[in-house]
Formats: sequence, structure tokens, C-alpha cells
Amino acid sequence: MSNQPVTSESRVSRTAVMALMSLLAIYFLLPVYFLIVAATKPQGDLASTNGLAFSHFNLFENLRVLFTRSDGIFGRWAVNTVIYAVLGAAVGTLISALCGYALAKFRFRGREFLFSVILGGVLVPTTALALPLFLLFSATGLVNTYLAVFLPSIVSPFGVYLARIFANAAVPQELIESARLDGAGEFRTFFSVAFKLMTPALVTIFLFQFVAIWNNFFLPMVMLQKESLFPITLGLYQWNGQTARAPLLQQSVITGSLVSIVPVIIVFILLQRFWRSGLAAGSLK
Amino acid sequence: MSSTVTRTRLAIVAAAAGIAILAGCSSPAPAGKASAASCEPAKGKVTLQYWNTVPGMDKVVDLWNKKNPNIQVETKNISNDQYGIIGNALKAGKAPDLAQVGYDQLPNLRTQDAFVDASGCSAATATKSKFVPWTWSQTSFGDTGVFALPQDTGPMALYVRSDIFKKYGVAIPKTWDEYAAAAKKLHKADSDLTITYFDPNNAEWFNGLLWQNNAEMYSYSDDKWHVTVESDQSKQVTEYWQKLISDKLVRTDLAHGSTQMYAAYQKNQIASYVGAAWGYSMFRDNLPRQAGKWTIVPMPTWGANGASGNWGGSTVAFMRGSKHLYESVKFNTWLNTDPEALALENELGGLYPAANAGLQLPALSKGVPYYNNEKIFDVFAASSKKVDTRFAWGPTQKTVNLALQDAMAKAAAGDGTLTDALAAAQTAALKSMKDQAIPAAAGK
Repeated sequence: MSNQPVTSESRVSRTAVMALMSLLAIYFLLPVYFLIVAATKPQGDLASTNGLAFSHFNLFENLRVLFTRSDGIFGRWAVNTVIYAVLGAAVGTLISALCGYALAKFRFRGREFLFSVILGGVLVPTTALALPLFLLFSATGLVNTYLAVFLPSIVSPFGVYLARIFANAAVPQELIESARLDGAGEFRTFFSVAFKLMTPALVTIFLFQFVAIWNNFFLPMVMLQKESLFPITLGLYQWNGQTARAPLLQQSVITGSLVSIVPVIIVFILLQRFWRSGLAAGSLK
Repeated sequence: MSSTVTRTRLAIVAAAAGIAILAGCSSPAPAGKASAASCEPAKGKVTLQYWNTVPGMDKVVDLWNKKNPNIQVETKNISNDQYGIIGNALKAGKAPDLAQVGYDQLPNLRTQDAFVDASGCSAATATKSKFVPWTWSQTSFGDTGVFALPQDTGPMALYVRSDIFKKYGVAIPKTWDEYAAAAKKLHKADSDLTITYFDPNNAEWFNGLLWQNNAEMYSYSDDKWHVTVESDQSKQVTEYWQKLISDKLVRTDLAHGSTQMYAAYQKNQIASYVGAAWGYSMFRDNLPRQAGKWTIVPMPTWGANGASGNWGGSTVAFMRGSKHLYESVKFNTWLNTDPEALALENELGGLYPAANAGLQLPALSKGVPYYNNEKIFDVFAASSKKVDTRFAWGPTQKTVNLALQDAMAKAAAGDGTLTDALAAAQTAALKSMKDQAIPAAAGK
């Protein structure tokens, strides 16, 4: 990471890149800006004022209404989302780490075949799996429970792939062998030695899983019927379907959307460092 | 983004199909036609399933559950894809005891054998006198049984920006002729101003206009449907609106309930709205700065014919497969005729009741601040009583509505006329019934 390439760049190309980046930034941030503006308006101003300009500042009242509507069901949805996303991503990361480590550091028959199968799993979109999962869970009576959303969330073939690549690169074989010589069992070796070396990759996997679960809409929609089990995405969708009968719900859907993206933004900013190094590690191989 | 949506949709369809196939083998054989089900009270505690789309309905049901420990009701909100969910449940043999069904979807679901006839319960037939006549006529299919109880209605009226009419010295119209004349005057006075908008993609609204002019689209006799979508009465309506569209006296670029529609009202570009009772809160909540400028008057009439129209509303239907008809009737009757329940539904869900008792609710006899403290619900109550009771919906209403909308959108773009759209809808009605082997013929 030296400064050399920067100084040798011509001014023209630098300006061009900056312009393109600014354009893209505006493109991606404009919807967020709209959401912030819209969330501060009272319902009556949504349609009747300029969508990108502030009018009456009503954010706190909107938030109060949002969190008290239907006995505070939105708070319940938020808690559910956190349970699904944080717990699901944590467990999912642990499983991916164990699996990737095993694939990287142990030699056994069919290892490459197993890895190929897992890699194949990356290609199957989660949406396509929702129906078979529903039928499976329906047969086992798990539909309409926390587990129905939680169990599929802890599986991540991409996480396994990333963990294997990183374990290969970051955990030297010699270190493992010396741990074994010192008398550590395989799990002890993993948790005390490998786990710490793999941390940047694990954070990346955690982030991927967290965002994927946080934004997953289709799986909960298929699995859940009880409102009290909904994540925020599904709850907002249900409210949005009722705006024809209850116009004031529209404002709550917008404010709720803003509230729901705040945790994702915070997590990203806090873990940005790991995110970048993890991505780079994945791209090397 | 759009590919995700498409994929999701596809998956939903696939899911629905899968569930339907799986369930196909377990669904009960359809029972004999038009025989009333038996009505025995259950022993001990029962739990009923009730699916609906009404905001706050869980609160209403809580009230019932507290008072009736032996008949507990569970609700499920099916606002997103109401008929898809009901249809799948029917195919899977897992329909709820009670489900919310719009009046115009009753015949369609009945041809799928979705309902059970509750006329074996004397408590159900006894409710007839408690409802506005046309609603009973539609839920009983002309007194041939009791398949649903009416819940809410959408009697129509004219919302008027009285300040704009006053400003240009135009009297508030009482007939459609006067309305057309007013349209001309307003547009002449201000070229940005039109009297209203015509949404070509809203067949439900347009059907309300046809209904007002006694333009019966369907009737059922001699074991077959008689299709009269194209009739002298319906042509009178289409020719009237076609003239307004051709003369550019109404806008056709606004969709009902869209942001653009509210923006146009906000900019004082539209002077009136032909709407239903449930629309009062839409204007109040989306156009707060026009408080005091709106008034609600009876819908303009066709000459001496004083009839009014209806747009929307729903019923609570007795679904096939329910094991607790007696208890379902009890709950359904309470839900839709008890003043306390009706008041709560009106407050939380904005329902305009179909029950006569509901029209006298305290909340519906007070003045409404947004509308200059006028007693606007008196206008809707009067409208409700003037709705044609003979009007009936067809068994393929959804298909016909889509055909009508397609052709009306073309007409609004200058390709053909609204009267052509009627012909297209008539053809679509006959064809869709033929495709489903439902006996039908054109004409009365």
C-alpha cells in the first residue's frame, strides 16, 4: 500500500474516476435520502409536497406512532429480526468456520468432491429452496415457528467456501502441528489457534450472513403466519397491503423502513475494516 | 430488483401449485348442490378460524373472545393476495371457517364450491332484516341460501371542492347533465382545472357507475347465466364519459389512490371526486391542507332516476369444510350486527357498515371536522338505501374486469371508445364462462 500509483496517475483520469464515483454514490444514496426525507413528513405531506425536499418535521411523532401501533408489534418484529439475523449469522459463521477449516486442513477421501458439492450450493438461489423447505418443515410440523426461519438461515455454502480459502492462507500447517505436539485436541486447536487467525474472514462471513438474513423476505413469508413471529420486512409488507383501508399506515411503513436499515448501516460502518480485508482474502485464490 | 420480484412471484406460483398438488388428494369431495348444511351446536369449546384484511380486526375479535370463552376465534390477516390465499386454502382443503370475500368475488368463489349454505341455521336467516337490502340480495344470491353475511359497503357520493365551484360561480350539480355542463364551465375558466379524472384501470369504480344506472350485467335463471354487460343502460354511461374524455374535460392520466392523484388534488387541478364512503379518510389523511374545502353531496343522478351506486365492500363468508357452522353463525352475526363491534370496526378499520344498526352509530352521526363539521355519513346512508338491489356479479368477474380495463385504457389513449370496451367485456364474459363450462347466453 504505497503512494506510488497515486502520484503516477494523471490528473485527467483521476478526475474521471472521481466523477464516476460521485455519480454512483449519488445514484445509490438518493433512495436513502428520499427515505430519510419521507420519514420526517406527516402522512398528509407525502403526496402533496416535493418528495426530495423537507417539509414539516414530524419524525418523532412518526416514530411514536410506529412503535405504539397495534400494541407495539413493530418492536416485536425488530426483536425477531435481531434474533434471526444476529443469532442466525453467529451460528452460521461458526458452522462455516468449522466446515471450512476441516476442508482446508484435513486430508480425507472425497474431500474435493464434498467441497465441489458445497460450492455447487452457492449457485442455488435461496428463493428456489423456499418451497422444498416449506414442504419439509410442513411435514415435520416446524412451519410457523422460530425454527422455520432460523434453521435455513444458519446454512451458508458461500461462508464455507470463504472459510476454507482463508484457513488455507492464514493458518500455517506448522502452527497446527505444534499445537498438536503440545497435546491440544482438534477442537482446542481450532478454537485457540485457527479461530483467532481466521477472525477477519469470519467477520466477513458474519456480515454476509447477517445482511442476507436481515433482508430475507421470501423465506419468512412462506414459513410464517403468526404476526408475532414476523421479521420487520414481512411485517412492513403486511402493513403496506393494508394502506388502501388505512391510509395512515403508509407513513408507518416508510418510517419503519428507515428504522430497519439503521442497524445494517451501523454494522457495516463498525466492521468495515474486516469486511475489506476479508473480501481481498477471498479474491486472492 | 425487478428480477428478484419476478423470481419471487414465480416461486409463489410454484409454491401455490405445489401445495395444491400435494393437497389435492386430501381435499374433501364437493358436497351436493344448494343443500343447507346442518346446524348443530358443538359440545364444549371450539376454535374458529377467521381470515380477513381489515386493520385492527384482531382487537374486535379480542372483545368477542373475552365474552365468549367457549367460542374462541383466531384471526389471520390476508391483505396481501387475499384471493390467492383463499384459493390455495380451498384447494388444500384447509379453508378457514370464515373468510372475508368482496361482493364481486362471491359468484366466482361459489362456482368453485367455496361456501357452505348456512340457511339451516335459523339464526342466520333471521339476520336478513338487519342488513341494507342490496347486500343481503348479493350474499344470499337472490334468497337461495345464506352463504355470507354482509360486512361493509361503499355507497357512492360526490366529493366537491366547494371553494372552487364557488370561485367560478358554478352550482354544485345534481344530475349528470349538470355535471357535464359544470365540467365545461370549470375547464373554460381555468384550463389547468378539470372537474374530475377518469381512471381507465379501475373497473371496480366503473362498475359502480354502471350499477347506479341499473345496468345489470348478469342474471341467473333457467340454469344459466344471462350476460348483459352491453346494454342500453351501460351504453348510456360509457357514451357520457366518452364525451367528457373526447372533449378533454376529464383527465385520464391519474390512477386512483396514487401519489400523482393526490398531487393533482393538492395543486387544485381537480374539483371533484366520484367516490365511496370509505374514501373520506383518504382525503382527510392525504390532503390535510384542504380541510374545510371539501363537501360531500349525493351522486349526480341520471335524470329522474334517483338511484345511487356502490363501490367496494366485503362480506364474511361461511367456508366449505367448517365443522362449526352453528358457532360461525353466532360469531359472524355478532361481528356484523352488534353496535359495539361495528363501532370498533369503523374506528380501527374504517369500515362503513352494511348493517342498518351500523348506520346509526354515534361515530357516523356526528359532523366530521375535515368536512366543515358536516354530517357526511347522512349522505352515504341515504345513498346506501338507493342502491339497486337487483344488481348481481358474474362468476368470472375478475376476467371481465381485466378485459374492461384493457379496452378502457385503449379508449382513453384514443384507440376506440368506452362503448367498444363494453363490447369487449361482454365478449370476455361469454368466453370465460364457456372456457369454464359455465352455461351462459347473451341477452336477458
